[in-house]
Amino acid sequence: MNVWRDIKGTVQPFWVTLRNMFRRPVTIQYPEEKRVPPPRYRARIILTRDPDGGERCVACYLCSAACPVDCISMQSAEAPDGRRYAAWFRINFSRCIYCGLCAEACPTWAIQMSPDYEFSKYATLDMVYEKEDLLVDHGGKDNEYNYYRHAGIGVVNPRGGNEDEAPPVDVRTNLP
Amino acid sequence: MPTITIDNQRVTVPEGTNVLEAAKKLGIVIPHFCYHEALGAVGACRLCAMTFLEGSDKGPKLKGVHMSCMVTARDGMVVSTLDEESADLRRHVIEWLMMNHPHDCPVCDEGGECQLQDMTVAGGHGIRRYRGLKKTYVNQDLGPFISHEMNRCIQCYRCVRTYQDYCGGTDFGVLGCNQRIYFGRFRDGTLQSPFSGNIVDACPTGVFTDRTYRFRARPWDLEEAPSVCPHCSLGCAVIPGARYRELQRVRAGVNAKTNGFFICDQGRFGYGHANRPDRPRSPRLGEREVSWPEALGALRRELEIIIAEHGSQAVAFLGSSRASLESNAQLLELARFFGSENFALEIDPERDRAARTTAALLGECARSQEEVRRSDFVLLVGADPLNEGPMMALAVRQAVRAGGSAALIDPRPVELPFAATHLPLSPQNLPEVLKALAEERFERFSARERTVLAGISARIKEAKRPVLIGGGNLLGSSGAQLLIEAARAFSRGDRACGAALLLAGPNSFGSALLAAQSPGPDRLLAQMQEGRIRALLCLESDPFADHPEPGRARMALSRLKLLAALDYLPTETARRCDIFLPTTAPAESAGTYVNFEGRMLPFGSVFDPGVPIQITGGGDHPPRSFEAHTPGSLPRPAWAALAALRGDSLSLAHIRRNLQRSDARFAGLAELEEGGEGRRVNGAGQMPGHGPELPKHPSAEGALRLVVTECLFGSETIASFSPVLDPVRPAPVVRLHVEDGVRLGIHDGEKVRLRTELGDLAVEVRLCEAMAPGIVVLPRLRQGEWEIFVPGVHRDCILQKEGG
Repeated sequence: MNVWRDIKGTVQPFWVTLRNMFRRPVTIQYPEEKRVPPPRYRARIILTRDPDGGERCVACYLCSAACPVDCISMQSAEAPDGRRYAAWFRINFSRCIYCGLCAEACPTWAIQMSPDYEFSKYATLDMVYEKEDLLVDHGGKDNEYNYYRHAGIGVVNPRGGNEDEAPPVDVRTNLP
Repeated sequence: MPTITIDNQRVTVPEGTNVLEAAKKLGIVIPHFCYHEALGAVGACRLCAMTFLEGSDKGPKLKGVHMSCMVTARDGMVVSTLDEESADLRRHVIEWLMMNHPHDCPVCDEGGECQLQDMTVAGGHGIRRYRGLKKTYVNQDLGPFISHEMNRCIQCYRCVRTYQDYCGGTDFGVLGCNQRIYFGRFRDGTLQSPFSGNIVDACPTGVFTDRTYRFRARPWDLEEAPSVCPHCSLGCAVIPGARYRELQRVRAGVNAKTNGFFICDQGRFGYGHANRPDRPRSPRLGEREVSWPEALGALRRELEIIIAEHGSQAVAFLGSSRASLESNAQLLELARFFGSENFALEIDPERDRAARTTAALLGECARSQEEVRRSDFVLLVGADPLNEGPMMALAVRQAVRAGGSAALIDPRPVELPFAATHLPLSPQNLPEVLKALAEERFERFSARERTVLAGISARIKEAKRPVLIGGGNLLGSSGAQLLIEAARAFSRGDRACGAALLLAGPNSFGSALLAAQSPGPDRLLAQMQEGRIRALLCLESDPFADHPEPGRARMALSRLKLLAALDYLPTETARRCDIFLPTTAPAESAGTYVNFEGRMLPFGSVFDPGVPIQITGGGDHPPRSFEAHTPGSLPRPAWAALAALRGDSLSLAHIRRNLQRSDARFAGLAELEEGGEGRRVNGAGQMPGHGPELPKHPSAEGALRLVVTECLFGSETIASFSPVLDPVRPAPVVRLHVEDGVRLGIHDGEKVRLRTELGDLAVEVRLCEAMAPGIVVLPRLRQGEWEIFVPGVHRDCILQKEGG
């Protein structure tokens, strides 16, 4: 019996090899050939713009608070029109684990994960992305949303000018 | 002492406690917005509802759902917080409060420390059900300190109760009616109260936010630690917050014995000194920046050379009331190490004597801010609390609000946030009036003055808890002594009369306790002039700017062979010294201040020193480089630098232990908790020698006595180096009595020349009625040519009309 088992053990691997020699290969010839990842793939982070072309990021620090590896840092500032924005915004991609918690935390749809997975550099410092490297010219996964049209403090629209707002009250009137 | 049952737990609380506080004592936290321990209950937010199952044994039967903050705990009450009915009401109230909220937390500075945010999340209200329109308001410009965003308001009235009731401001309040309640000013404009910043802390949401800190950081990113305010002698608890190596804001801490819950605007917005681009951050030999070992070695070598040539008395040490107790103690240790007896812990001789007299005599007469708040009669003599210790003015205001009364004897036109009888007497009469009050002999005074003084004397005697408050600047050493003696004279039997003296710096009392063997700054200066002192080491002190005789001080300093300084501010001394050692700002190092009543208040280190990222990045992102060292991180705590100069390396705990072992007055210092209530020193200082008396009569015909007085936002050293306060610096005007104006032919608002022995000054005159005649009141300002006049009554002046 042991002889038959040895013969089978010798011949079978040759048979498996021979069979697979005539199968179509599954390997993709990267980088000559590229796969298209699904739209919700989590790779390089981007900062998107609202439909009016303004920066969506209000530098609320929620992404940096949510980040489990502390790779996001920023400084918020105030524009002359009262808009809160990031004076600088830095993501250290050499530290990022692409978990997507920052995008989940973002209340304005500003920070989003993009499917751009081709991401390697020779120097660590080149992996540190500043705001100008992160900003893109589109709205990412949602091209409609503008945070300031919903938050009632009057930056894009005049005060009380949003869809769900009444015009400012007249404090000095006595009428009911 | 009623005993009540809350959620099946029994608790006994003092008479008059409300049910909300009683629940808090059991550890049951019920959400609330409008109730605040210091402001009391108004029942406006409707959030602290509890179900009352059984009413009290006595009094009206209370059953059903009631606001717990409005119900006084009575014996036999049975209350439930978990009852379905009240829990449901609370849930709904949160939803109603959110009905008109702008939902702008990402761009709101309150986010992260917002009570409304916390309560909404805790109440489980996540999805907005109401589909109607949101109410909106137009905001106001409330000046450089406060941002206004009315849309976020939930109408809890805390701001009005803080601003008007507690702080006595009159230019801010509640307007409108019905659905249009509005919290703001009648017109746009800067809030006038020097306590305006408190509405930022009081507001449970983001209607009022700190404008100087607008969009700078989130509370979870801030480095915070309990600290003590370094701007005056009151020792209020503060919590500074720093981020990116920058001190970004200060908020009020809680210390029941000192400030309670609030602080003044100087304490809140005077933080910019730590971030200045021109702050000296490296040790220096002359103009050359060197390392610590090199600077310490050079300084020690130079001192040893001078000692070898001229004896150990040729080196002198000058501490200050702005340096911590530990730093001053280490300076003394250093003087002992070199065998020198020449040291002083305050440069102004009169302030030095006043503080030392206070430290020597105050003893059991000392009253804390808390005790002033609970007093029923307060007499202020030569004290301008709003400018010399702003929170003291609020403490007296609380006493007056609770039914007490206050009187003021002061030559200056003093503004106060409460009603008080004002008796303007000339500064040289203040000691006399204290003597007269103690002895009840008023013959020397005019008929009107006699009536007022007799009234004051009667009110002190009637009062159960009277306090006399004096100002060290105006009373001086002899006045401080007389004030404390008067307090003793008024104390009898079971009823004690207290005393408090507003001193110059945060650690004046502590320095005065340590300065027992000091020959005083006057002797130091004289010896420097004679050339017997060859080297001076200044610890966070600026003899160029703070001596009442600047000419003499400059002359004496110019004769020195070696001037060394330790400081964290770019003062003139720091600029001109031969050897400079950078020290940490108060928020960057731990230490202890001893406040005006002798209370030891330890504070913690908030952040490590370094050039703010705002500066290294030039406003843009931080430099893209890896460095092993933080730029500008060289400053060391003064106590550490002074110990290193002796070749010693001591921890702060070690210094504190040494201090309490060698000096029984500081017993318990090492065990004190940072951010705690602190503890009064256990014993007194030593009386200083007497200073020269000012002549009773003006030096020349037509001369007026020059009263230089501290002013808020303008006088205090650290605050004067804080650019945040620049928009509210006081205007340089002098004040003159109307009678003197008429006599000299000077009109209100006129520009005249003020002539003193220190030189001429072009000044604008304001005429006042509520002040003593024969004086000119000049504010102490630290900018430009006004800086030479330091607080106190030192000289006479002549007012001359321009071109006359």
